[in-house]
Amino acid sequence: MPIIQLNHVSKDYRLGTLTSLKDSVRNTVRRLRGQPVKKRAPFRALDDMDFSIEQGEVVGIIGNNGAGKSTLLKLLAKVTTPTAGRVAVNGKVAPLIEVGAGLVPDLTGRENVFLNATILGITRADIAARFDEIVAFSELESFIDTPIKRYSSGMKIRLAFAIATSVEAEILIIDEVLAVGDLAFQRKCFERMEDLIKGRGNTVLIVSHNIRQIERMCSRVLLLERGQVVADGLPLEVADLFYRRSNEKISAEHKKSLEGKVHKYSSGEIELVSVDLLDEQGEATDSIPSGGTLRVRVRFQVNKPLQKPEIVVGTHTTDFFYLSASSTALIEDRPDLDVGVHEVEYIVPSFPLVAGTYCVRFAVFDQHQRKVFTGETLKIFTVLPTSLEILDAPMRRLYLPTRWRINGVAHNSPMPVPAQAATT
Amino acid sequence: MLKIARNLYEYRELVAELTRKDITVRYKQAYLGIAWAVMRPLALMLIFTLVKSFVGIDSGTIPYPILTFAALMPWVFFQDATAEGIESVVKNSALVRKIYFPREIFPLTAVTTKLVEFGISAFILAGLMVWYQMMPTAHILWVPVIILYTLLVSLTIALMGAAINVSYRDVGAALPILLSLLMYASPVIYPLQLVRDKLLVQQAAGEWSDLLYTIYTLNPLAGIIDSFQNVVLRGLPPDFSSMLPGMVLTAILLPLSYRYFKWEEAYFADVI
Repeated sequence: MPIIQLNHVSKDYRLGTLTSLKDSVRNTVRRLRGQPVKKRAPFRALDDMDFSIEQGEVVGIIGNNGAGKSTLLKLLAKVTTPTAGRVAVNGKVAPLIEVGAGLVPDLTGRENVFLNATILGITRADIAARFDEIVAFSELESFIDTPIKRYSSGMKIRLAFAIATSVEAEILIIDEVLAVGDLAFQRKCFERMEDLIKGRGNTVLIVSHNIRQIERMCSRVLLLERGQVVADGLPLEVADLFYRRSNEKISAEHKKSLEGKVHKYSSGEIELVSVDLLDEQGEATDSIPSGGTLRVRVRFQVNKPLQKPEIVVGTHTTDFFYLSASSTALIEDRPDLDVGVHEVEYIVPSFPLVAGTYCVRFAVFDQHQRKVFTGETLKIFTVLPTSLEILDAPMRRLYLPTRWRINGVAHNSPMPVPAQAATT
Repeated sequence: MLKIARNLYEYRELVAELTRKDITVRYKQAYLGIAWAVMRPLALMLIFTLVKSFVGIDSGTIPYPILTFAALMPWVFFQDATAEGIESVVKNSALVRKIYFPREIFPLTAVTTKLVEFGISAFILAGLMVWYQMMPTAHILWVPVIILYTLLVSLTIALMGAAINVSYRDVGAALPILLSLLMYASPVIYPLQLVRDKLLVQQAAGEWSDLLYTIYTLNPLAGIIDSFQNVVLRGLPPDFSSMLPGMVLTAILLPLSYRYFKWEEAYFADVI
């Protein structure tokens, strides 16, 4: 029998402010008369969620802000009830939804340990038995009889974390509590969490924006989007899907913000017709895989014949940092351009940049280096992440093929599958 | 009802711990500490005694100060407990939003906390009784029952009020005012005996007199205060005839109020 079961669960919140007492009275009168009632638009935080979790699973929940993660946890912790459907939880839940809810500033650390632990459902005898351990973990031995309103915020959080993680429960719900305190304490918290998760066979639900952490700790990951479970499966796969979706969202936003930001100058001798990105088959596209071929085709109309003009094609980031540029000035026998439409292709066999949004620039100079045409943000394109993006080091700009030798033994890092092949 | 009792038993440690918290926090940084708890009934007693010297209220054989103090004890307990109970859920909104336990624990805790102040007032009352050389009789054993009944009356208003207060804070502001008005409709400044004499004996309102008296005693506090004075000061058993209308009213309203609270409870975290 699953320990947690959700049957077509939906949760609506009403948007806007609460109705005033006047409106409520008016609505009641209308309802009594059988007239239609003015209603506020509901916001669907969870939409027909249906899944179950077995005893002992460690489930990560990921999703963008507003995807419904916190609402889901609140439902499981019984803090709120669903609008439709049924939530069945067969076990004691320890919600570490927000450490420190219920700390009372006027009470001393000691009094707060007892109060907060009781609120979390630990019996008095248990707290007494674990009191020293809690205090030792929070490193507050000399401050335990001081009212916690005189604590620093770090001290408060340490105390709260120590209390919260001493709860014994079948189901543990953790909402981004790991990022507390200084680095040393964070590591300690992390170890404590791992101990709670791995050691005891508890069922654990973790919500975090730290995808790597989720990937490392969980046996299963749910990806939420607009209140729905859009993916449910192995951590690596779901995390990768999430990563790719966020990337798409970011580039869509970038594109939107860059539209109309085309910087163009023309002497009138040249008019731009089109700038396209081409894939391997020569079809127009908007994205290329990491390390894939970058092929840019520029078409332009020449109004006055140009002798041996210099053509420059390059790329830049969305904040106009110039990344690459190549010029035909290096080519001795470059052609003269007569009046008419011409086509130039610029091909980089392996474009060595990590996933992200980039732009194309294009310029033409005459043989005396006079500027005939320049343009930026002429085409916006995306470099897609690879399927193993999630495992790679986070801080980097370049995508370079690598080889490793560890203790003299060659290790080939698996060549990541280009994302297009992995797309479902 | 069984479920309520089981819930309460299961969460008894939490109620105890929250009560302890409320009391500690209230008097933590005050020099006189819990002594403040008895200031209000004492001050009111002095004022009423002063007023009485101008107006003249027949207090029977009992000295007026101790009679009015014995009325103020259950009254202040009721008023404070109810007001506190109404605010209790909103006051704990941080907990409501994060952690689940049966929400009636909030009003219940708020109401029980006030028992402490009541207990301290009891010492003052004992002191006054020594001063006026009054001996309590065995009827004083009724006090816990009367107080338990007062507590239920208080909960009746507090449960409903607390639930409404989550959506409409007006309740938290308005009810204390209404309650302080209710004091004048309760036999605090004057003994119930005066009302009884006027309406039942002299039939002051003609044929309406008996009905008016029943309406007056629909206020549970009328019976409570009179019975408290009976068992502590007069050495008499509680007067059940004056308690009955209020008891019936409470017996009807308490389950309704509780049900309303439980029904609204599901939305507390969403709207608080």
